[in-house]
Amino acid sequence: MKKWIKVLLIVLVIGLVGAAGVVYYVYNRPHRDVSTEQGVKLTAQGIYDAFHTNEAEANKLYLDKAIELTGEVADIATNQDGKVVVNFKTNDPMVVINCTFKENPGNLKPGQTITFKGICTGYIPDANVVINEGVLVK
Amino acid sequence: MKSVVVWVLSIVFFVTQADAQKVFGTRNGKISFSAPDDEDVKAVNNEVTSRISDNGQMTFSLLMKSFLFKMAEMQEHFNDQYAETSKYPRADFKGNIQNLSSVNFAKDGAYKISVKGDLTMHGITKNVTVNGTVNIRGGKPLAAAQFSIVLKDFGINASSVTDKVTVDVSCQYQ
Repeated sequence: MKKWIKVLLIVLVIGLVGAAGVVYYVYNRPHRDVSTEQGVKLTAQGIYDAFHTNEAEANKLYLDKAIELTGEVADIATNQDGKVVVNFKTNDPMVVINCTFKENPGNLKPGQTITFKGICTGYIPDANVVINEGVLVK
Repeated sequence: MKSVVVWVLSIVFFVTQADAQKVFGTRNGKISFSAPDDEDVKAVNNEVTSRISDNGQMTFSLLMKSFLFKMAEMQEHFNDQYAETSKYPRADFKGNIQNLSSVNFAKDGAYKISVKGDLTMHGITKNVTVNGTVNIRGGKPLAAAQFSIVLKDFGINASSVTDKVTVDVSCQYQ
């Protein structure tokens, strides 16, 4: 075989393997796992105060960040896809910190103080701060 | 004196009327969207705050970053390139049921509704009309609707993926 054909074939194969690798990566890249991240430590009241006082500033600080939140459980529910949701109390009866678990955290009760770590997606005025894809820390 | 009594009575009446208004809410309603021509493009948001009142008013607020995709790569492109969710974190809809007289919130059943209002997304507000249903079971409403959004109407350019998305609303109220 001529040398240039060999070279061409090798280049072609490398290209194909590379392209397949990129496609594989795009389809299978794992989702962010908050349990391996260092979270910003806050209380439920603290994160509400930050968003309530200055939403734009709080967005800059907390949006998309891993948040390690400690607070008192107001109520526990499951969302429409069966994931466990815990609402944390704030001093405003209208507002909670709405936290959705990635996996079932087991038995939790209203009134209990727990620490949850998840990703903050933002604030809906007069309703809640939302944190999702979370895990129970303690 | 008589006029004062009438005035007081009418205020009392008005206040009781306002009190009688019934509002149903949820913090964990569900809204998903998908691209009509690409089944891989699909995202779900289970943290929709919504209220429906028996006076016909409906509000929906959602956080764009709460949309979860099957593919992490796609979720990143949606957030960073297309919907620019750090700049525009929230989407809101506020509207009214146009055919309120055909809905009886006090009676279980499925009612077809037409809702007209303002949808704000990616910093742009458009007036939209959406047809859907309110399904009342055990006194609690479930609102459902499916409609199409043309992305460039909201200044979103995702033409390399899709020009429009189908939005699916399913909110169970408490």
